[in-house]
Amino acid sequence: METIVDVRNLYVKYSTGTVALEDVSFTLEHPTFTAVIGPNGSGKTTLLRTLLGLVKPTKGSVRVMGIDPSKQSSQIRRLAAYIPQRKSIDYNIPIKVKDVVLMGRLAKKAVPRIAGRRDIDAAEKSLRLLGLEDCWDRPFPELSGGQQQRVLVARALASEARLMLLDEPLSGADVESQYVILDLLKDLRENSNVDILIVTHDLNPCHPYIDNAILLNRRLYGYGEPCNLMRLDILSKVYGPNVRLITHEGHVYAVIGDIHA
Amino acid sequence: MPDPLTMIFMHPFLQRALIALALTSMISATSGTFTVLRGLSFMPSAVAHAALGGAALAIYLQSSGLVPFLNPASGALLFSLIVAVVTGYVGERGTTSRMEVAVGVTFAMAMSIAVFFMHYIPAEYTPQIWGYLIGDIYLLTVSDLILLSLASSTMTILTIIFLKEFTYLSFDMEGLSAHGLDVRLYHYLLVTASSLAIAVATKAVGAILVYAVMVAPAAAAGEWGKTVTSVSLWSFTIAFTMQMAGLVSSMLWNTSPSAVAGILASLIYIGTILKKRKV
Ligand SMILES: Nc1ncnc2c1ncn2[C@@H]1O[C@H](COP(=O)(O)OP(=O)(O)OP(=O)(O)O)[C@@H](O)[C@H]1O
Ligand SMILES: [Mg+2]
Repeated sequence: METIVDVRNLYVKYSTGTVALEDVSFTLEHPTFTAVIGPNGSGKTTLLRTLLGLVKPTKGSVRVMGIDPSKQSSQIRRLAAYIPQRKSIDYNIPIKVKDVVLMGRLAKKAVPRIAGRRDIDAAEKSLRLLGLEDCWDRPFPELSGGQQQRVLVARALASEARLMLLDEPLSGADVESQYVILDLLKDLRENSNVDILIVTHDLNPCHPYIDNAILLNRRLYGYGEPCNLMRLDILSKVYGPNVRLITHEGHVYAVIGDIHA
Repeated sequence: MPDPLTMIFMHPFLQRALIALALTSMISATSGTFTVLRGLSFMPSAVAHAALGGAALAIYLQSSGLVPFLNPASGALLFSLIVAVVTGYVGERGTTSRMEVAVGVTFAMAMSIAVFFMHYIPAEYTPQIWGYLIGDIYLLTVSDLILLSLASSTMTILTIIFLKEFTYLSFDMEGLSAHGLDVRLYHYLLVTASSLAIAVATKAVGAILVYAVMVAPAAAAGEWGKTVTSVSLWSFTIAFTMQMAGLVSSMLWNTSPSAVAGILASLIYIGTILKKRKV
């Protein structure tokens, strides 16, 4: 078993004084499909950014595949693919779907970043796996929210990463797109040796797909199999008293009062 | 009166105006397009007003004999560079809302400096400053044109070479930095090169009208272009034809060329938006 992510006593404090993460420790072993859950502002995005070396730990240590991302960020970036949260992407930029899918690969090349045969093959294949082979030449801004999220997953997929870090890849996606994405991620984890860490504000659709969940609210409130985390005593500490639990087909689901859209 | 075409052949100042108009349209197609795409459409205006402030300071230092070798153009370039660096620094994390504030503050500062020094500048120099505020495509000298062609060709070459990088930056700065793109480098390259080009164009177009002549065409093109290249080419086409119309109208009816161009380009933008609403 290989350790993919090893986080120990991680503190992250922004220059504004906000403490986003406090004494967070966990490890992820290969192969894994893990989801990070937590309310707004709980540090989920900060955690992913720290793993990528976009934010430096204030205290504590982080290792991703044995590499320290704050020192060797370029190595991490060769091994990992990342989809940032929706709000950091400008969905109005006039750009074709193929250009979005190719950009993950071309960003790693030297200027002028011409797409070769292998790049185009990888991009086409990724788009096909997400059921969007007809959209290759379409303008990205004209797609539906779910199709756009699928294109971004295709971008991550095409860059042939060992580790995928996806920040709310299901937001803005309808149920069909959610399952296309989740099926694909599960398949990657099972058949392609890719480890996956996603952030989600709604664990329920992911529940049957993932191995582990991390419950975060600045501190780590729980880590383990999703059903084991679905306990009222744990969830109410993070989400307040409006949490209810429902059991369906052997899985425990949480219904949370203040889910954000 | 001879027709406009014959007039252009007869008068070198009209030929210079025609060249300047093509060159400023190139800056609209490059700097204009990318500032609009990055959500920074206000930046060209701020840069142009900073250029005005810088020119005022340079004229003051020159006329007072403090720094006799300083010319207005170098003051203009220096100040626009300051706007670029401040905006660039704030925008490193990609948050456009904070960049807009930085743009606004540097804009206000440059204008205050301009007004402050205008008070101390001998009257015979004030027309030079008005030149930066209103712009005059007919008063351009050959050396102005050389500077303008240097600026617009540099900006065009940079855009052709780094079209992908500039586009990626506008689309998803955070995601691409995680994919290993040096977003910071390209971000600063884009804002500084754009600012310098706009500062040079200010003398031809005028700070007040930079938005109308150089940003409105890109904004209109951005509403219908499907790729960044098509937005850029459309932006050039609109900026060029509208400025041509301004030039012809100024010859026939003695109107201000940039003002007419600005009115027409803004109308095209408004028309585009209205048409989009309807469908
Ligand atoms: N660049 C930054 N500078 C200063 N503070 C920040 C920055 N980014 C995030 N924060 C703060 O850090 C805390 C954690 O933010 P983070 O974005 O990691 O939360 P999140 O769990 O991803 O929230 P959401 O569900 O809304 O995406 C918040 O209080 C936020 O305001
Ligand atoms: Mg987040």
